[in-house]
Amino acid sequence: MLCRVNLRASGMEVLEADGGQAGLEVARRERPDVILLDVMMPGLDGWCVARELAADKSTKDIPIIFVTARADAADRRKGEQLGGVGYLVKPFDPVGIGELVDDVLTRIERGEREQLRRGIATEHEG
Amino acid sequence: MSIHEREDRALRLQRVAELLAEAVTPQEVLDAILTEGVRAAEARAGAIGVLSDDGESVELLAQQGYPGPIMEDWGLFPVSAHLPMSQVMRSGEPLFISTLTERNELFPELAQQAQNGSSIAVLPLAVEGRVFGAMALSFAEKVEFGLERREMKVALARQASQALARSRLFAQEQGLRERMTFLAEASELLSSSLDYNLTLRQLAQLAVPSLADWCAIDMAGEEGEIVRLAVAHQDPEKVRWAYELQERYPPKPDQQHGVPQVLRSGKPEFFPKIPEAILEEAIGDDEGLRQIVDQLGLRSMICVPLTARGRTLGALTLIAAETHATYTEADFQLALELAHRAAVAVDNARLYGEAEKGANAAQALAYVADGVVLLDNDRVVLHWNPAAAAITGVEESHALGKPVDEVVPAWPSLTSHVPLARPGTSGTRPVTVPLVLDGTELWVAVSGVDFGEGRVYALRDVTAEHALEKTRSDFVATASHELRTPLAAVYGAVRTLRREDIELSDEDRTTFLEMIESEALRLSHIVGQILLAGQLDADAVELSVAECNLAEIASGVIESASVHLPEGITLDLSADGVSSIMCDENKLRQVLVNLLDNAVKYSPDGGHVQIRLERAGGGCLIEVSDEGLGIPSSERERIFEKFYRLDPEQTKGVGGSGLGLYICRELVERMEGHLSVDSQPGVGSRFTVALPARL
Repeated sequence: MLCRVNLRASGMEVLEADGGQAGLEVARRERPDVILLDVMMPGLDGWCVARELAADKSTKDIPIIFVTARADAADRRKGEQLGGVGYLVKPFDPVGIGELVDDVLTRIERGEREQLRRGIATEHEG
Repeated sequence: MSIHEREDRALRLQRVAELLAEAVTPQEVLDAILTEGVRAAEARAGAIGVLSDDGESVELLAQQGYPGPIMEDWGLFPVSAHLPMSQVMRSGEPLFISTLTERNELFPELAQQAQNGSSIAVLPLAVEGRVFGAMALSFAEKVEFGLERREMKVALARQASQALARSRLFAQEQGLRERMTFLAEASELLSSSLDYNLTLRQLAQLAVPSLADWCAIDMAGEEGEIVRLAVAHQDPEKVRWAYELQERYPPKPDQQHGVPQVLRSGKPEFFPKIPEAILEEAIGDDEGLRQIVDQLGLRSMICVPLTARGRTLGALTLIAAETHATYTEADFQLALELAHRAAVAVDNARLYGEAEKGANAAQALAYVADGVVLLDNDRVVLHWNPAAAAITGVEESHALGKPVDEVVPAWPSLTSHVPLARPGTSGTRPVTVPLVLDGTELWVAVSGVDFGEGRVYALRDVTAEHALEKTRSDFVATASHELRTPLAAVYGAVRTLRREDIELSDEDRTTFLEMIESEALRLSHIVGQILLAGQLDADAVELSVAECNLAEIASGVIESASVHLPEGITLDLSADGVSSIMCDENKLRQVLVNLLDNAVKYSPDGGHVQIRLERAGGGCLIEVSDEGLGIPSSERERIFEKFYRLDPEQTKGVGGSGLGLYICRELVERMEGHLSVDSQPGVGSRFTVALPARL
């Protein structure tokens, strides 16, 4: 809800899914430009969804930004290993989320996907 | 010489012989010689001298009829001196000098002496051809020493020799007997107690006056200092004085004689006559001390080390002053034997003390909870207490005398990172390391000390503490995660509501405000749980017991939960005939809220959640059941532990502080009830609260 309102305010089209399984289905069907993925979800959690997306040829290139309250280094490394390009730790300012997504997509277009991925494990909270 | 004179002389000689036959002690013999003997010889004066034990000196034993301080001037002189008695002792031949002129020519040293009298006769005292002394006779008038006179003097000397030798032998035997008696008494005393301070004090007392006028015992202190243990004298006032003297004039550690020297060298000192130089060294320039020493009249001294197993433990000093005779070789030997026995007693007492201390230490180590391992420098096990056996699983009997790496193969990895402290330092912090023994992982806190002759390690099994620490750190991670999520919603909603660049619909605004409200409540609930757990720990939770309507409480809890019920969950209350119960309403509500919250949380795929109330005996049962994930049997007790989470990684997407069930069980038990769980993984769980009829 918070992300949806703020992303739309940045002119982006937002698709929402309630839970991991539903999210996976939306991603396969709609192939969005970027996925904001909550880690802690009932049923299939964010890590599992990322794994499934990476295993699927049709979705493996969709950039994932993890959104989570888990801030420790081990979780960041997990996000990095699962191919994430961003790692947003709660609480964060949703007002800047549109800008952040824009920045991620721009850098990916510039071929900096790998740097973004590696940056997950070294970035500070926030 | 007339017949009458000859008879008279024979009679006098006979009289002397009779008197000498009756005399038993050396003093009685000397008295007889110097009275009747001198008279029989028609002499004016007489003196008896004997060879000292070392054969180097002549000691004047007694005199009769000489004027002036002869004993003081000639009490002791060398055998090598150019004097009549010395010459006779050296040659074994009698010496007869008729005139003063002749005497002064032969012995110029005597020219300065008294010039009265004229003739002298000096006769050897010998037994079985061995000269042991000499008898000097001085005559008032000039005597021509004709053959008869000479023979008479020689006969007198022979009688005196035999009597004196016999009496000295008797005295020696008596002295020996006395010494043996003394030694026996001393030995009995020394073996009477292990308190050697006490026995040595008593020993010093025993030595006075039979062995000495003064007896002192000094011990070598740990820092090399001299510790006076005992001083004995017959007069207690003098003892007190001696202690004061010791305090005022402590012995100088570098003194060349006396106790400091004996303690330093371990060699005895024996001065039949204390040389002036020694007294001078001790006195120095202190006039006060000089006066005291002069008054004491110290004459003869024996100072022997108390030596055991090559170590000098102390020194025994015997001093002859006002009453005791000059020390002899026999006294010195007795002192050596006494010191030897005393040293052995002290050593034994110390060894026993150390052994006892060791035994006490071993006994203490047997009861301490920490494992204590003592290794020598070759890493061989010298001590392995029961706690070390319990931690490592290796019995003491299998560890002692073996290299530790053989006893516990994991020992190097256990201790390689342990910094070793030095004795007397503040020590180092223990290092906690894992130890896998027979497939079981233990966490052991290890600290060590290197004391030069080996190392001692202390081991503590901190497996439980380590698990608790991990749980605690998991809690911090979990709690922070639990707090971050609602905080993110509140912060995010407020930030979005305050945006002026977008226009929110009324519906969105309402949703954000509701989000702020519900997430703030969630925050409050989590913080409340953390605080409550803290209060339970501190036993600071007070119950307010009253009669409550259980069905109403349960109904209220269900109603509240229904407001935000996830999709697919149904709630139901079954209350068969249960109405009132004595309990703390708020606490029981909290228990039910937690149990119901858990039931819903752990039913991620939906299902039926039920609260069932039932009368049981005088009390009641409250069951909260679900059709959720269930709990593996191995976890069913652990879920009630503080901070314990069934799914710490939250891979199943179920959050929580890990405090809910801990709080539930603690609260139920404070209401004298019981909380249990029955569960089947994949089928569901049933938590049962059993409350008694009355609190």
